Amino acid sequence: MRNPTRSLQSNIQKIPLFFIIAVFFLLYLTTPSANGDRSSPDTILPDERPVPAEPVYGDAFVVGQIGDARTLVPILASDSPSSYIVALVFNGLLKYDKNVELIGDLAESWTIEDDGLSIVFFLRRNVKWHDGHPFTAKDVEFTYKSIIDPNVPTPYSGDFKMIKTLAVIDDYTVKITYKEPFAPGLTSWGMPIMPKHILEGQDLLTTDFARNPIGTGPYKFKRWKTGERIDLVSNHEYFRHRPYIDRYIYRVIPDTATMFLELKTGGIDEMGLTPLQFTRQTDTAFFKKRFQKFKYPSFGYTFLAYNLKDEKFMDKNVRQALNYAVDKNEIIDGVLLGQGRVCTGQFVPESWAFNKDVKPWPYDPKKAKVMLKESGWQDTDRDGWLDKNGKIFEFTILTNQGNETRRQTAEIMQRRLRDIGVKVNIRILEWSVFLNEFVNKKRFEAIILGWGLGREPDCFDIFHSSKTKEGEFNFISYSNSEIDRLLIEGRRTFDREKRKEIYNRIHEILYTDQPYMFLYIPDSLVAVDSRFQGIEVSPIGIGYNFIDWWVPKARQRYRY
Amino acid sequence: MKKLFRNKLTVFGAGIILFLLIVAIFAPQISRYDPTYIDIKEALLRPSAEHLLGTDSLGRDLFSRMVYAARIALLIGFVAVGLAAVIGVILGSVAGYFGGKIDSLIMRFADIMLCFPRFFLILAVIAVVGPNIFNVMIIIGLTGWMGMARLIRAEILSLKIRDYVSASRALGASDVFIITRHLIPNGIGPVLVSFVFGVAGAILTEAGLSFLGLGVQPPNPSWGNILMEGKAVLGVAWWVILFPGLAILITVLAFNLVGEGLRDSLNPKQG
Repeated sequence: MRNPTRSLQSNIQKIPLFFIIAVFFLLYLTTPSANGDRSSPDTILPDERPVPAEPVYGDAFVVGQIGDARTLVPILASDSPSSYIVALVFNGLLKYDKNVELIGDLAESWTIEDDGLSIVFFLRRNVKWHDGHPFTAKDVEFTYKSIIDPNVPTPYSGDFKMIKTLAVIDDYTVKITYKEPFAPGLTSWGMPIMPKHILEGQDLLTTDFARNPIGTGPYKFKRWKTGERIDLVSNHEYFRHRPYIDRYIYRVIPDTATMFLELKTGGIDEMGLTPLQFTRQTDTAFFKKRFQKFKYPSFGYTFLAYNLKDEKFMDKNVRQALNYAVDKNEIIDGVLLGQGRVCTGQFVPESWAFNKDVKPWPYDPKKAKVMLKESGWQDTDRDGWLDKNGKIFEFTILTNQGNETRRQTAEIMQRRLRDIGVKVNIRILEWSVFLNEFVNKKRFEAIILGWGLGREPDCFDIFHSSKTKEGEFNFISYSNSEIDRLLIEGRRTFDREKRKEIYNRIHEILYTDQPYMFLYIPDSLVAVDSRFQGIEVSPIGIGYNFIDWWVPKARQRYRY
Repeated sequence: MKKLFRNKLTVFGAGIILFLLIVAIFAPQISRYDPTYIDIKEALLRPSAEHLLGTDSLGRDLFSRMVYAARIALLIGFVAVGLAAVIGVILGSVAGYFGGKIDSLIMRFADIMLCFPRFFLILAVIAVVGPNIFNVMIIIGLTGWMGMARLIRAEILSLKIRDYVSASRALGASDVFIITRHLIPNGIGPVLVSFVFGVAGAILTEAGLSFLGLGVQPPNPSWGNILMEGKAVLGVAWWVILFPGLAILITVLAFNLVGEGLRDSLNPKQG
């Protein structure tokens, strides 16, 4: 399960560690994405109950999420709900372990050769696809070819285009040679591997595999009722061991208040809590007895992205001015109720790429007004709104439904920008419509969205000027030649110290250039039913050892 | 008129409507705070002397928001149904008066419109044109005229064969004159009743749309969107959901009571 890469995330989540480097996320809570160094998670375990030693099979795990998956073709899954399911059904060659170190998943081991230009993967020999077909190096090759196929709109192709050759040496050995030294190379092989024998010759955009996937992972796909639920059953043949929990049920409940009621009545076993629920509704004796609460820093952040093709936002001065007008601490105190931190850029403080010298942008609305005036925005007709060439400064912020935090953030920004004479409208859209019709097609002026990040700091896919095609991650059309150069340099450099310098510089430039208004890093707040045993907490949250979770016979709720 | 006010419930309803109208008109004078003023430090305060109905999750004064929401609710109610009434009366009277093909055409069109489930039609249209107060008013208006058109047509069918209409026509009065001076004034009663019920329906529709995030957009308050926000803090702050809920209930009830009373007083069969 879980692929070490990046994926755009979008949810309340926790469980699988997305390896994927970036995912759009829906809710402030993010999956413990592959990441995080230290940060001891603050766990509140329920009292009572001696833990019986021997795990047993059975029961189901029902998770509540606000958004439905979009596609289960792994290389097209760029949002957190899709990645979430993909991470349970598929495996990459590598994954992160508890200490966020890369370990073999489908690959048993690997060696680095030719001064870092090549990687040789030795694959596991006993792995079978869910339909019984054996997994071989041909599947790895097929997955690679699909990703680099120009007709496949995957946001993840960047890392794989750096490959010069991929040679299948025998059924269980693959040698990958890069065109030039490529630091994120190893991490990128967290990408889930797809079955060649099923997908060969199919159009990945229209294949029914997207709704009926066959993987190698701990859970097999069973059924998908759009907008309602996705059912997975445990894979008894899973190469590590049969997961103890028999079923994995993903329920779509597009509203956190309803979800919370479902949690309390036992309809779901796990959800990401809103800050309000976490701080004010879960301290009752009832709740503490029934649930275990977890809190850990997330490896992602929430931002306001500008469409840089829009004339208003092309001017860096304007973007900086807007940043002065919004008080991030107000959002963190008021909306996250303190369960989060100010974001200063692409990297979170737990990352080694984080630049400590980048200080949070001050809140200074007066300065914002002065700067906007420099850019020609003034209230010439005294109607309370700034204008330029007869047009008032007005734009619409889009964000996704079900995420109260984002809606409230939008409302605070609306108010603060009104204070300086900028008119903001807010539009809330359903998750997949939001991504498919607005983000991917770049039909927006500004959006509030989040990234779930991997531990690898490479953010080529997000900020490089070549990654602006539909469905790719540079949906703001950002183009900065220095960033472009640094991103490429960062990928070529292996030395951690040198890389750190490069990413520190990227951090700094992005912060002054403000292609996004960086808002906050939300904490992951998760509640899990107390009947689940074996939950281990790692710096990247819970869920990385999901196949070891189990429920004592007497407390099992579902029978199959 | 006298009969109308003999009914205590009607008077009660009318009183509430009057009260709401006053609140709506004098909203800026009544509310002590700017309804969109955000103060995070004041979030989710209980009702108190300072904040009569408490504050919401962004620290906005709920009382002020409710007062402005009343303004928006009534505005949307009256304008939307007014629009529906104008369209309904024009089309209905033309259909009823001229009869024949014109009648068939207009009334079949009304039938077609009635076939659509109204709320879903509104949802679909709003999703396309984008939600805002103006669009909501227009769309509620454009989808609500059919009942009124049928009512006025029925009235006119029976009125147009009266002697005074024939007399008027014999004196050379034009069709327009007859319709506007004789027929509509005499047949407007049922439309009036329908209008009052319509306002109640429109207010409810607006609240429903805003609750779904497709009506009045932030920062403008509406009972529906306050209710939506209240849902998220249910269990922590009951006041955010209780007051807009009550407001919708009472307002819709008031309009229905008045509509009921009006209908009774216009019904000649009842004593």
